[in-house]
Formats: sequence, C-alpha cells, structure tokens
Amino acid sequence: MPNSRLSRRKLLIGAAPLVAAPALGKLALGGDAKAAEHTGHMGPGLSHAAMIGDAAPAVGGPHDLDALLYPPPALPHQPGRVREYTLVAADHDVEIAPGIHFPAWTYNGTVPGPVIRATEGDRLRVHLVNAGSHPHTIHFHGIHPADMDGVFEIVAPGKSFTYDFPARPYGMHLYHCHSTPLKKHIHKGLYGAFIIDPPKPRKPAQELVMVMNGYDTDADGGNNFYTVNGRSFYYSRYPIRVHRSQTVRIYIANLTEFDLINSFHLHGDFFRYYPTGSSDAFEYTDTVMLCQGQRGIIEIDFANTGHFMFHAHQSEFTELGWMGFFEVVD
Amino acid sequence: MEAKAAASSRGDGFWRAWAVLPVLLLAIVVGLFFTSGDSIVDLVGRNPPPADEFDVRRVEFKPGEIRVRVTNPQRDDLTIASVTVDDAIVPFSVDGNRKLGRLRSATIVVPYDWVEDDPISVGVTSSTGIETVEEIAAALETPQPSAKGVLGYGLIGFFVGIVPIALGLLWLPSLRRANPRWLAAFMALTAGLLTFLGVEALGEAFDRQATLPGPLAGPGLVLLGVAGSYLTILLLGTRLGRGGDGAGVSAAALALLVAVGIGVHNFGEGLAIGTSFAFGELTLGTFLIVGFMIHNVTEGLGIAAPAAGSGTRFSLGRLVALTLIAGGPAILGAWLGGFATSDLLAVVFFAAAAGAAFEVVVEVGRYVARRVSGGLRSGWVLGGFLAGIAAMYVTGLLAA
Repeated sequence: MPNSRLSRRKLLIGAAPLVAAPALGKLALGGDAKAAEHTGHMGPGLSHAAMIGDAAPAVGGPHDLDALLYPPPALPHQPGRVREYTLVAADHDVEIAPGIHFPAWTYNGTVPGPVIRATEGDRLRVHLVNAGSHPHTIHFHGIHPADMDGVFEIVAPGKSFTYDFPARPYGMHLYHCHSTPLKKHIHKGLYGAFIIDPPKPRKPAQELVMVMNGYDTDADGGNNFYTVNGRSFYYSRYPIRVHRSQTVRIYIANLTEFDLINSFHLHGDFFRYYPTGSSDAFEYTDTVMLCQGQRGIIEIDFANTGHFMFHAHQSEFTELGWMGFFEVVD
Repeated sequence: MEAKAAASSRGDGFWRAWAVLPVLLLAIVVGLFFTSGDSIVDLVGRNPPPADEFDVRRVEFKPGEIRVRVTNPQRDDLTIASVTVDDAIVPFSVDGNRKLGRLRSATIVVPYDWVEDDPISVGVTSSTGIETVEEIAAALETPQPSAKGVLGYGLIGFFVGIVPIALGLLWLPSLRRANPRWLAAFMALTAGLLTFLGVEALGEAFDRQATLPGPLAGPGLVLLGVAGSYLTILLLGTRLGRGGDGAGVSAAALALLVAVGIGVHNFGEGLAIGTSFAFGELTLGTFLIVGFMIHNVTEGLGIAAPAAGSGTRFSLGRLVALTLIAGGPAILGAWLGGFATSDLLAVVFFAAAAGAAFEVVVEVGRYVARRVSGGLRSGWVLGGFLAGIAAMYVTGLLAA
C-alpha cells in the first residue's frame, strides 16, 4: 500500500486543506474522539470529501486495477505488423464498491475492458468470443472498413468474430459494444480504452489510463456510483504514486451512460490537454469536460510533491465515487 | 355400529389427543415442502427477484450526526452496503448487524454536518445495488427526552386534552335544567361527534397501516384494534352495571363510557401531534393548538349531556375524574409520540379509538331510544346527531 507509512492523523491533516472547506477542516482537526470511534471500518468521522487511504470506502487490494491503469508499452513504428487481442464477452458480477455487486456484462471479466494498444500502421486482429447471454459486438472508434465497424456483424451467444483492420489514426480512442439496446449494452460495462501510438513515438512518460464510468445499480436511469477504471473511491484508497521528475501522461475517456457529460479536474497543478490525442495542439488547463465517447491525453509536469486530488468537477460524481489522489514523490 | 362402539370405548381422552393429529400432519407436510425447495414453484415458472428495498422507520438528527433506523420488510436477507446523504456516499457505521433477516432492524449512524431547516435525503443501498431513498422535508434536531420536553409536550396535551373537556363540562348545570327534548338533542349530538371521531380515527388507522412494512401491514390489523377496543368497552359497560331492565347502562355509567371513548381517541390525537412535531412534519403554531382546543370543547359537551340526563349530582371529584379520563390520555400520547414513536402502536391506537367511539355511539343510541319520547326517529335526535357531525367538521377546520 503506497500510503501505509502515513498515519491516519497525518492524512487527515494533509487532506483537509485540499478539500478547501473550512468547516470540514474544523471537523477533521477538531477530532471528536467519540465520533471517530463510532465509524468502524469506514474511517474517521468526517466528511467523505476528505476520504483518503483507509477512510475511503473502496473495494479490493492495492494492485487490483494495475492492468487497467498501466497500459501495455508502446511499440516502435513497424508498418504491417499484426497485433492480436482476444476479448471474451461474458456476464460477470463485479464488486464496484464494498459489498455492492453489479451484474455486469464484461470484456475479459472487468469493467472497463482491457486496454487495447497498437501503433499506427499495425494490423489489428481482435477476436471477439461471445460467452455471454446476449448478442454483442465491438465497435472501435477510428478509421476502418464498414464491415469491421461492430454495427452489422452481430455476434450471437456462443459465436465469435474477428475484427481485422489497420490501426489509424493515432490518438486516444475507445471501443464499446454496439448491440441494441445500445444504452443497456454500454451501461452494463462493455467498453474500454483503445490507444493508437503515433509513428514518431511520444516522449517518455509515466503512462496511465483512466476510463470514466457510472453504474446504475437500481435501474432507474440514473447512476448510483461513478468511478475511474470501475471501482468507486479506488484511487482515494490507493493513491497513484508518480514521480515529480517525469511527465505523467493520462489516456482518458468518458464512457459514462445516462449523464450528458463527465469531467476531470486536477488539484494544485495544471496540465496540457490534447483532445483525442490526434494532434500537437493542446490546452493548458486544470479542468476538462468530456461527453460520452470523448477522450484525450493529459500531460502533467508536477511542480510539487504531496497528495493531489483529482476528480470529476461535477460534485455529485465526486461524492459518488469519482475521486482519487496522486501521491507525487521526488 | 362397530365404529361407534369403538369410539365410545376409547373415551374422551383419546379424542382430545386426536385433535393434535392435524397439527402433527401439518408439521410433516410443511417439513416436506421446505425440503423440496423450489421444485414445485419451478413447475410453473420463476420467482421474480426480491425488491431489496429497505423500510426506513425513523431518521433522527443530532448535532453532527444522522441516525437512520431501517427494517428489512422482505423474506430474503438484506445487507446494508452503502449509505448516501443528499446523493453523496458517506462513511457510516451500523449499530447491529449489517445483514438483516426478515423484519430485523438496525440503526445506521452517519457522522454528518447537516444544515438546519434544509430538506435532506438519506439513501440506503443494499448489496444488490438497490437504493432506498427517504426524503426529509426539513432537517431539525430530533428532540430527546428532557425535563423541558416532557413539560412542553405535557402542556400541549393539557391544553388540547384536559382544558377543553373541563370547559365543556361546565355546560352540565345548564344542560341539567334544559328541556328534555333539548337534552335528547344534545345526547344525539354526542353520538354524532363520536361517530365523526370514530370515522376519522378509522381513516387514520387505514392510512397508517399502509405505511407499515409489508408483513406487518394490513386492514386486518385495523380490525383487530377496532374489535379489541369495541369489545373491551362493551365489557366495561356491562361491568358498570346495566339497568335492572337489561336495556342498557345508566346515564351516569354512560357518561363514564363516553369519557373513556373520548380518552382513547385523545391518546391517538396526542400521539399524532407528538410524532408529527418531532419529525418536523407539523408546525405547532398557536393557531393549531387553539383549533384543537375549540374542536375538543365539543367533546366535553359530549360527556356533559349523558351526565345531565342521569339526574344524580356529580361531585366535583367525579367531574375531575371524568375530565382526566377523557383528556389526560392526550398528554400520555404526546409524550409517547414525541419521544418514542412506533407506527405499529399508532395504527393500533387509532383503530382502538374508532372501536371505542363506535361502541359508545351504540350505548348512547340505546339510551336515547329508551329514554326519549319519539326515540331515535325524533327530529330532535336526528337534528342533534347531524349537528354533532357538523360541529366536529367545522371546528376541525380550525385545527387543519
């Protein structure tokens, strides 16, 4: 656990200024011993806005989401090289918050599905095996033939299909199921990040993938939980450790169903935002807004060390699980 | 012939034991059914999944803390997995087990800096992700039993229960000197207002039973309360002594019965006032209390009418006792409602109030039929009955 050396008390003091709410700070530092005792395993008796470390109600262990957070490495440009991936669509219950199980439809057992990565000019062969109970497809964003678009070639349960197309254009993309009812197939969890690297490699960085999503656990057409990479408050419980000396590059995509938009906001610093990652044009900001299907690349050169919060700048999403911390070290 | 002989030879003891046989067989059949699992259900289809919704019984606000009492209203277990306040996930602890069996309850404790007077919603999410949301119109600190609170609710009960009944009883000397036809009209008025109270209480009981957790709810619960109190009052009336002619209770006993019937009703009224105020659903303004006072003065009149018909003198002590029987329960109800509400208890008491009122209406009717010339069909009686209902409705508007 990255923050195991910090005492809970220290974390509170560290987090209080971050949340920038004087009342909360007072509560946290006032430390009503009785209230703290009362909260059991959920942590100290203060508002969720300062939930970090053990105080954050996230499910799982410290490295559970590593495969989704850290993308496979970029390969050098080599036109015609074949990159093969196999995605198995299956019904799978996923625990999205402590004790809360969502009956998801998944690619390879996780929501979001695995990160697919290729370099521009690679030939992608993606095998879809439908082990689920409903017809599924994979619809990739990018440039490809009409019969490889995941719209017409519906894959029935027990069947399979291979998507075969050249990887282009470079940028941060995404993939998702395009069976009808579309809303249901996306919200159930059939989506993931799809990175195409440019022929001229990007400069070295600490690379991360963040897929923003939501879960409507009671089927009322509104989300009950919001996350990045599938588990609410996960990166509050397990802050992402990064080094100040090296650029942090986040491939970010929004796959949130039901809500019009989602967003990413970084505390205590600014970043370069490259929309879709498809050109060198960027905006220098600390907040970006994305509708469903929008994505881009964020590059942060941290000026300071310490715990820096990141979250959706829709406060509601933040308080329903979409928040986390970077632990910036030298 | 042989069977008959065998039956008689076996004696009474055997046949008493025989009565246990159906119970034993039932136990065996039930056992077999349980061990067969869902195989019978599977022949006809599948059970839908459980609703997995909690029943939020009570939300209390304390400084820096919200306490939520929840019950599992369904057959399957229900687990408290997540809690939200105003659509935000909050840390919480559970006083008791997180996994609730059928009709089991637990209290969720949420450290929370709530904003006074603001509407607030509390959501409890089960492990299957179903969220039960309880909207609270205004967050207000829940009163805890304190000397001040006890005094406050006591005074409210005193003003809406005891004072108006005592004032109504002051009509007694005037009624005693009234023309017998007028007295008959006032007796009928008593019956009218008791009928009104009975119907109101019945409606309240039905409304409230509907909000109970499924297995506890049901119109049958209301019937239980109505029948229980009706029969209790009937028994009380019999004990108090029917007239030698066996045609009904004496006027003095009737006054006591009316007082008891009104007392049961006022307990329910106190309970409702206490509960509604404690949960911020009721503004206990001066106007409301004055309204209840005017409304309840008619109840005092209802006791005075049969007392006047008795011809016997009522001592001051007896009048005070009648006042306390009829009005005192308002204080007890207000205390109970303000500090320790039970919805189940409220249903039973409203139903009991209805049963008591209806029984007393029957007693008054018998009395009037027996003692008044023209009986129940006299214009004075009919007019008085309608006037009683109308008086309750009109004065009730003041307490609305």
